[in-house]
Amino acid sequence: MKAVFLLQWRRFYRQPLLVLAMFGLTVIFVSVSAAGGQDEPAIVPVYTESMEQEQALDWVERLNSEQQFTFEWMPEPEARSYVAEGDVPQAVELMETDYRLLVGREDPARLALDSLLRRVYSEELRLEDAAQEVPDIRELMDSALSDPALEISAGSLQGNGDGDELQLLFGMTLFFVIYTIMFSLVRIVDEKRTGTWNRMIMSPVRKWQMYFGHLGFSFLIGFSQIALIFLLFWYAFGFELGDRFWLLIVIAACYTFAIVALGLLIISLISKPQQLSAVIPIVATGMAMVGGAFWPIELVTNEILLAAAKALPITYGLEALTSVAVYGNGLQSVMMPLAMLLGFGGICMAIAIRLLEWRSAS
Amino acid sequence: MLETDKLTKKFKDTVAVNNVSLELKKGESVGLLGPNGAGKSTAIAMISTLLKPSSGDVRLHGKSVLKEPGDMRRVLGVVPQKIALYEELSAYENLKFFGRLYGLSGNKLEQRIDYVLDLVGLADRKKELVKHYSGGMQRRVNLAAAMMHEPEVLIMDEPTVGIDPQSRNHLLETIRRLNHEEGMTVLYTSHYMEEVEKLCDRVYIMDHGKVIAEGTKEELKAILSDQETVWIEFDQSYPELFKKLSEIEGVQHTDAEERSLKLIIPKGMRLLASLFHEAERHGAQVTNVHVQTPTLEDVFLRLTGRTLRD
Ligand SMILES: Nc1ncnc2c1ncn2[C@@H]1O[C@H](COP(=O)(O)OP(=O)(O)O)[C@@H](O)[C@H]1O
Ligand SMILES: [Mg+2]
Repeated sequence: MKAVFLLQWRRFYRQPLLVLAMFGLTVIFVSVSAAGGQDEPAIVPVYTESMEQEQALDWVERLNSEQQFTFEWMPEPEARSYVAEGDVPQAVELMETDYRLLVGREDPARLALDSLLRRVYSEELRLEDAAQEVPDIRELMDSALSDPALEISAGSLQGNGDGDELQLLFGMTLFFVIYTIMFSLVRIVDEKRTGTWNRMIMSPVRKWQMYFGHLGFSFLIGFSQIALIFLLFWYAFGFELGDRFWLLIVIAACYTFAIVALGLLIISLISKPQQLSAVIPIVATGMAMVGGAFWPIELVTNEILLAAAKALPITYGLEALTSVAVYGNGLQSVMMPLAMLLGFGGICMAIAIRLLEWRSAS
Repeated sequence: MLETDKLTKKFKDTVAVNNVSLELKKGESVGLLGPNGAGKSTAIAMISTLLKPSSGDVRLHGKSVLKEPGDMRRVLGVVPQKIALYEELSAYENLKFFGRLYGLSGNKLEQRIDYVLDLVGLADRKKELVKHYSGGMQRRVNLAAAMMHEPEVLIMDEPTVGIDPQSRNHLLETIRRLNHEEGMTVLYTSHYMEEVEKLCDRVYIMDHGKVIAEGTKEELKAILSDQETVWIEFDQSYPELFKKLSEIEGVQHTDAEERSLKLIIPKGMRLLASLFHEAERHGAQVTNVHVQTPTLEDVFLRLTGRTLRD
């Protein structure tokens, strides 16, 4: 087993390109997208027909406090010409109890803008209603907020920027490592094709030793990739990974195990290298999309997709990592996802071994 | 020391190996000769414990290896028909790995690597990657890898297919030395009869999964003792003339090539008169006539009516 395991490192040393590419891609994707996310917020012209200027400026200040867009008050004709010239995709008309969007062209940020406006308006209107009964509600609120009885640190979906960055980091890391692991397992199929596998069978080495040599390597290379990327972003890029780094490492190990087992299952079902190089990307991207590596799973509403996500290891990996790094939870709260990962891996491994033995016996 | 007993392997619709009984004595060099598809590789796969026989047995020192393949795996060195190496690694790295599979390590391992590299004449190029080697050099490493653990029996499956003459000679010479000087038992598989004739004491001839003849080279050629092989060369190809000649009464087998024709005839048959007569009628010029002592190739032709190349 040791010989087979060591050989894989030798081969990695001779052909490190694929693994390095996956490592590099993760780093590039995460750092570029994270940097992109820190751009200046887009400018949104604001005008009003019905309000006093002073009142309107209060609104603008209130809106800008969300820090999602830069709202800029200007006279109506000016705002209209900005939109007409296409300098900005849209402008906002403020009214007493409602707002209206002046739309020039399509803009992916419109949904976010609209939901921000709606939220701020409904909050303000509710406060106004309450103020009819309790005149100094605003002062009360401010003092209550500055001295909270219970602090809720968990941000909402668009919450703190760090949460976004971590989601991205975890998603990309868990996605690209699937390639590293599965393509290193494809070596088993390759060995069967080139005949070196038969050579090993003809030697005194046992079959399970051959498999475990390969699995051990795939596990370690995948696990190291995750761990190194976390360390890199922690130290070099200053990501806040929470104060339980060891727990992230435990989660990474469980996730790696699940993916190694899934990979083994796939190669036990498909024995042609060309087919595998088509199937693996499909599996990796499919899992990543449904499991929430590309966008937060909270955005998904389709029942079928949500149900499918529950069957994927990447969902549990992301859930556990986010829970620990973003929300600061401990081992106790990630027991369930960890158990799911180990269970998933165990089942895949059992089926795969059955299939492989059955095939070689015939 | 090694024998197979009515070894049989059925695949879905073919019987690849059919009741094959072979025997290898210690220090012997045995040839397994047969055309492509005869079942040689399948027989070897069963002997080397890669493939379970449909029926029959393989025995080492009288003990069946089907249930307990361990002993066989330790004493056997198999050179596969396909080059089975890690081509992104160097020859040295490959040999190191195959040595480790057999539990070699440390100094012993290094010495053995040096020895087998020397044996196949690649000592000075051991650090180069296998994929940069020529086909012939890859074949030599393929042999070296099977020699790492000092096997008692070396089984080779067409080790010279597709290599340059120089590598081929080197390889054949190496095998001959191993057998003669080190007393290694050799089972040599090929569809080139010259190789088998040169290397082997005893020969099994296989066709369509069956052993159709066996014996020492002399015994096999005695099958043709009452026959002669006549080889005739013409100035160009004459398909009609060739057909005519093969139909001459008494001619037993023919093998036509581009410009030449081989006929197996009974000893003492007076062929030449009718040969020149027919040639003249077809306006053909005979450039060479040769009466040969039979080869194993001729034996095969006689037994099957086909040549090994077919
Ligand atoms: N795995 C297999 N499945 C089905 N048929 C096979 C298999 N391996 C070999 N055969 C068939 O068995 C016959 C003998 O093949 P083989 O042993 O490779 O011959 P040789 O080595 O003498 O050229 C061929 O007809 C081949 O097609
Ligand atoms: Mg063959």
